[in-house]
Amino acid sequence: MSKLNATDIQGFVLRGYNMPYARYCFLHFEDPQRARELLGKLLSIVTTGQLWDEKPKSTVNIAFTHQGLTALRLPIATLNTFPVEFQQGMKARARILGDTGCNSAEHWDEVWREDHVHAWLGINGVTPEDVAARFDAVNSLLTETNGARCLGTQDAASLVEDGAVTLKEHFGYTDGFGNPDYLGVCRATQPGQGKLDKDGNWTPLATGELLLGYADEAGELPVAPVPHLLASNGTFMVYRKLHENVGTFRSFLNQWSALYGAGDEHAKEKLAAKFVGRWRDGTPIEVSPDGPNPAITQDPNKSTNFKYGDDSTGARCPIGAHIRRVHPRDAFGFDGRLINRRRITRRGLPYGPYAPDDGTITPEQAAQLDAVDRGVIFMALNANLARQFEFVQQQWIAYGNDAHLGNDKDLLMGSHGPGEKYVVQGDTNPSNPPFVCSSLPNFVELRGGEYFFVPSITALGMIVRELVDPR
Amino acid sequence: MANQNGSVYGLTLLCPILNDEKASPSHDLQIRDYLSKLTADSTSPFAIAPGTHLARIVVMDDVVYVGMPACEEHLKSKYLVFESNLDGDLDTYLTGLATTIPEHIDAIWSHCTGYPGCADKAKFVQYMKNCQIETTFFFAAVNDKSVPQTLTALQTQRAVAQFIAEHQGISPAETQRDFIEFLKVLDAAPPLKPAMNAPSRDIKTGGRNE
Amino acid sequence: MSNINGKVYAMNAITPMRPWKTWILRLVFFLLGALKSKQQDLINLSFIQFARWVIIPRNSFPFFGGTQERDSMKYDYLLFFSNFNGTWNQYIDAFSAVLSDGLNLIWRWSEKFPGSVPVTPFKDYIARVQFDTDYYYTAYPEATANDVKSAHIVQQALDNFRGQATTGTPEQFQHAYLEFLLTVQAHLGDTGEAPLVS
Repeated sequence: MSKLNATDIQGFVLRGYNMPYARYCFLHFEDPQRARELLGKLLSIVTTGQLWDEKPKSTVNIAFTHQGLTALRLPIATLNTFPVEFQQGMKARARILGDTGCNSAEHWDEVWREDHVHAWLGINGVTPEDVAARFDAVNSLLTETNGARCLGTQDAASLVEDGAVTLKEHFGYTDGFGNPDYLGVCRATQPGQGKLDKDGNWTPLATGELLLGYADEAGELPVAPVPHLLASNGTFMVYRKLHENVGTFRSFLNQWSALYGAGDEHAKEKLAAKFVGRWRDGTPIEVSPDGPNPAITQDPNKSTNFKYGDDSTGARCPIGAHIRRVHPRDAFGFDGRLINRRRITRRGLPYGPYAPDDGTITPEQAAQLDAVDRGVIFMALNANLARQFEFVQQQWIAYGNDAHLGNDKDLLMGSHGPGEKYVVQGDTNPSNPPFVCSSLPNFVELRGGEYFFVPSITALGMIVRELVDPR
Repeated sequence: MANQNGSVYGLTLLCPILNDEKASPSHDLQIRDYLSKLTADSTSPFAIAPGTHLARIVVMDDVVYVGMPACEEHLKSKYLVFESNLDGDLDTYLTGLATTIPEHIDAIWSHCTGYPGCADKAKFVQYMKNCQIETTFFFAAVNDKSVPQTLTALQTQRAVAQFIAEHQGISPAETQRDFIEFLKVLDAAPPLKPAMNAPSRDIKTGGRNE
Repeated sequence: MSNINGKVYAMNAITPMRPWKTWILRLVFFLLGALKSKQQDLINLSFIQFARWVIIPRNSFPFFGGTQERDSMKYDYLLFFSNFNGTWNQYIDAFSAVLSDGLNLIWRWSEKFPGSVPVTPFKDYIARVQFDTDYYYTAYPEATANDVKSAHIVQQALDNFRGQATTGTPEQFQHAYLEFLLTVQAHLGDTGEAPLVS
């Protein structure tokens, strides 16, 4: 395959920046010409995938909705070659994604309720001051060119616990594992992150699963908008603001862990691990069923290096556990070939204030915690929204047939109705019993989001200079 | 025998549709119209007649022209395709259709050439067999359970899942008492009717944009 | 027009074959039927409830005389009827990814078949040779092939367990109940509506 030109690809597509603070700005273009002028100025400061000699204090990236590309007056023939789901936008896809009930648009933040967001501008920074400084700089460009209105911003930040930056989200789970490895994307490959070959070894996925213009896992170039130059080195991004009902979660865990195994502190952490497939420190329960193990978690050669082949009954990692649902590895047979085209790269951060957990919670405290605006900004990158993100959301999170779980949904992320349940498969060991949680509340609620196209630097330049020609 | 797979039989019928230029609307359109109004839930004719797991009725307008260098050719009649996956014996099944749902069968098949009607069961069965095409290869995920057995199993599965969910952290003695009670209720429950849970949907076709 | 009923999709496809190639296809199906191991992949894909291939030889379209003109064709035709769970795209993606050799062995004898890999031209071909269902019935629209298989496992386990459950002390019951749970614990998924597709 051809070598990747990292200077043409926006940086966060190729790797996470490891900067704990971020501000996401949502822009609306009033006038195409002034908008192009603004983009022209941004073009010189957009962070690319080029490796850093010295890590910068902050980064800038940009992505567009279909409405945004339309507002920039791209040719209609080009606009029509974008995939249907991107043209419709995430709000219109609500029924497919299960974004109904408490997840429906009427509960979203105002900025997402109308179709006004044209662009996402992402700023990441090492400190909050760095983010603010970059934001001021960007704001000056906005004012100077009058190229766009900022409809709103969303701050996000890693959670800080006892003074140290963590990778945890608000339910207490350590995140940041399991991003796929792709061919040619400069990053140390870790066993467990790519795909399985027929000898059972892990190899990187085809580049075309992430980037347009490269061969994908189906042995062809992924379906992409024309012209090629507009699409190549670009990708699609899903942005979803996921509110976390921390109070509901803590109450639920306390309530059910009292009935699980010995009903003690260890049982509580074990049940929490059974929900997700990792102990809250990140140790995968498939590898370490009895307790967390930093030696595994901190070793990149071990932290995602496992398969489910020996655990078809789900006694170690429940069949419906979150990480098993979204990355089944070899669980569906066929050397994992049924899942190679269903992978996504995640780049989000938590948002909202940290809530210390002393292990107890009353109903009043739970309600208060739930009411605070906190959760996770979920961002996923993939070459094909329908085949990758939407498929996982619709078939593996909101549904369970591929895992032989019928209509059962992902416990934490599913939109639950009455009568739903979560089954923890077990064995004859009294500390690992078969167990069923029921009366599932909604732990996560969608508060907005959209689909974006992340252009390459070349494509951005073409947009700025009005050189997009659909042929 | 290629039509049979375990206890399931794969019936494929191609019945030529009457070609009558004077019929307005034409016979194939009349069939289509009738089918579009036919329900697929527990009031469906195939829920009433016994033995159908899954079945479809399709008006096949023509063969397909796949493009040069293949030759273009056309059928002289349209055909009514009936594909059914049924329990047990073919004669019993066909006789069952003619006995339990004759009005529907007549309404659809009266538009087909040579159709003798349901009244004479032997003639009806013979006609259907004359339209039968041998299934060359028949695959069935589950080939040893009848429709009633399948519906009972689904009902049991639902009830068992609910029982288990409701009995977390309950003492063995109480669970046992409840379980004995549960068995009584389950055994007494009326059997599920076929196609009871057919949902209503506005989009029915699906295809490239799914 | 309704290709979908509950969780199951009715796909119909017809492809032309030059008559001399039909014999090779018949041999392929004969071997597939005789060698159960070849069907294992199809069974493991577990989202097909029923599927069949039907060869209509060129002169075998049913003929009843009267006003009907006899159909005598140049090509034999291969009819394919599938009852599968999941979306159209998911179904074809899965087959193309894991059963491409088998698909090719069946359809390469059909005119202008492009091969089952890569998947986009394959999907174009299927879209061209697929025709839509007018009426689709299933006795259990709320259940997929997996749901049905799981249901039978639960029924069987219950039938085995019930004798022990009613007799015996609570301790004996507890032991037998645990065995029962372990047998059914991976087969308790809800049945119900299919995910919406558009």
